[in-house]
Amino acid sequence: MDGSVRLEEVVMRFGDFTAIEKTSLTIGSGEFFSFLGPSGCGKTTLLNMISGFLTPSEGQVLIGGEAMGKVSVNRRPTAMIFQNLALFPLMTVFENIEFGLEVRGVDKRTRREASERLLALVALEGSGPKMVTELSGGQKQRVAIARALAVEPRVLLLDEPLSALDLKLRQHMRAELKAIQRKTGITFIYITHDQGEALTMSDRVAVMSAGRIQQVADPMTLYRSPATGFVAAFVGENNRIRATVIDAEGERVRLDAGSLGELAGRAVGEPRLHNGDSAVLFVRPEHLRPVGEDVSGPRFQATIEAVHFEGAWVMLETRLEAFGELLRVQLGHEVSRQYTDALAVGQRMAFGYDPADAVVLPDDGSPMVDEATGEMVETEQRTKRAGDSHA
Amino acid sequence: MLRQLRERFGGPLAVAILSLLGFWLILMVTLPQLQMIDYSLRPNLLPAQQGGPEDGWTLANYATLFANDIHRSIFFKTLWSSVLVTLLTLAVSYPLGWYLAKVATPRQAALCILLLIIPFWINEILRTYSWFIILSFSGPLNEVLMMLGLIDRPIRFLSGDGGVLIGMVYAYILFMVFPVYNAIESLDDNQVRAARDLGAGTIRTHWRIVIPHAKPGIATGCIMTFMLAAGSYAVPSLLGSPGSRWFTQIIYNWFFEGGNWNQGAAYAFLLLVLCIGFMSLVMKIFKVGLGDIAK
Repeated sequence: MDGSVRLEEVVMRFGDFTAIEKTSLTIGSGEFFSFLGPSGCGKTTLLNMISGFLTPSEGQVLIGGEAMGKVSVNRRPTAMIFQNLALFPLMTVFENIEFGLEVRGVDKRTRREASERLLALVALEGSGPKMVTELSGGQKQRVAIARALAVEPRVLLLDEPLSALDLKLRQHMRAELKAIQRKTGITFIYITHDQGEALTMSDRVAVMSAGRIQQVADPMTLYRSPATGFVAAFVGENNRIRATVIDAEGERVRLDAGSLGELAGRAVGEPRLHNGDSAVLFVRPEHLRPVGEDVSGPRFQATIEAVHFEGAWVMLETRLEAFGELLRVQLGHEVSRQYTDALAVGQRMAFGYDPADAVVLPDDGSPMVDEATGEMVETEQRTKRAGDSHA
Repeated sequence: MLRQLRERFGGPLAVAILSLLGFWLILMVTLPQLQMIDYSLRPNLLPAQQGGPEDGWTLANYATLFANDIHRSIFFKTLWSSVLVTLLTLAVSYPLGWYLAKVATPRQAALCILLLIIPFWINEILRTYSWFIILSFSGPLNEVLMMLGLIDRPIRFLSGDGGVLIGMVYAYILFMVFPVYNAIESLDDNQVRAARDLGAGTIRTHWRIVIPHAKPGIATGCIMTFMLAAGSYAVPSLLGSPGSRWFTQIIYNWFFEGGNWNQGAAYAFLLLVLCIGFMSLVMKIFKVGLGDIAK
């Protein structure tokens, strides 16, 4: 059973709006693959092309090596779990799960056996005769999974299926989805704007922005070595510092950050940086730590503006003295206890980091996080449109 | 109810609203109906004999229908033809309702609805006359069919039930389209997409997902269309006579030609019973309650 999915130079246009720029991608059979991006980035459009609800304007989709151009939605070896689940409210749990088999002409006895087996898989034994309207949110979620698995798809498409659940349940369902995927060996293609979901469950993640795939990598690489400024800013949190390259030999890059002095970081990806290029240094809040006056190496002198106690860690909002920009610093339990007295609004502190943890990327002028709203601001502001209507 | 109204509108206005409602329900609806029931249960007598020894309640007027073969057959024909009209109207309206609700862009839907409504700005009799012209022996429809070579000689549309059926489907289509359209509109698009995704073809998707959801709308449309068809007078008398008579025409004759109001009232009540019977049957078949229909 080959559940691989290949996108060959697919393009999707709605009128004169291009929702998906030319994209090629191969998803392996049995892989848990996620598309991660802010709303309007085109991830749902891609999913709809794989499921067959949309036909690409150019290029083609292959599933298991077979071109899907002429194969309609109801004949594709895919099954979709919808964002709002789209369970059939007038049917019982059994009828919902068996619907796909019923339309395939499977006899009642075999159908019932299959649905009993699936209900056991999603830990809902005995709920078969209930109406779906009687179920809780998490139970509905499980029925939706069972209904999609009932047709034995080679590829399961999941369109932000956990977004309606509360935090605890969501975390629980993440683990469960991952377990089901391992057990069944089906290719899972998961759409989300929640990086936590993408990072914890996926084998590989494609980060999307403005109709383009920015980077495809395993979660750890994505986090440690983002290929573009967008990925660096969207996945996890990052402080951005603009600077000029003064030494780009080797992996370690030295930067001149003007009044902040000399900084350093690790170069990742292409294109290579050259001396004199303008670049952006990304330092994650958790990689910053307080340093004394005597310690050498790159340092930021800043004033604390706010202290947020988060339980497991403390998040500081500080203002860089030289630069006037915001610097977020996350201190772990140990460190914050050590500095309890110093962590107060108005206190001046110096923060240092290990240059191996900081990433230097060419300054593509791209994404910024809006300080007021905390939302990603993309290079090209994109409007809501047909085919990708999920907010 | 009085208390709710008083909280909302104040005492005097609440009393006014309730008395208007009562006036309308009792004086305009209930009393005339009771009067007609009373009529239907009394023999048709000359004014001088009324209140005399022959006056009294009797079921004779109702028995007439079952004694008269022609009237009885027209009664059942009206029932059957009204069912046919209802089914035909549904067959035309369901695809239209689906198109308006789920396929058309808002602009197309608005235009389509406008085109549907415009003819209804004209009086029903005039609309029916236009069908009389279209369907007549040497009318435009026959001309066109002959020109296209589909028929050799004109067809007599107006002599049988064909003309009546066409005219009624046309006259009552809006009463079916709108409830069906409203019901389909409220269906979540993802339901249809999910059914397709799970492998259902077009027919199966409609049969298992769309129609069950639209059931209350379909039931409402069927009941309204049936009532209007069974109670229609203008369409059958213009497009059907003399080959196709409707029960309403017989009621009319009793009242205004036979001068026998008592007999006419009895027939009218039998038609009412028929309609209520049909309505209950449809509600039973579709498993919907009065509440669903009122929605």
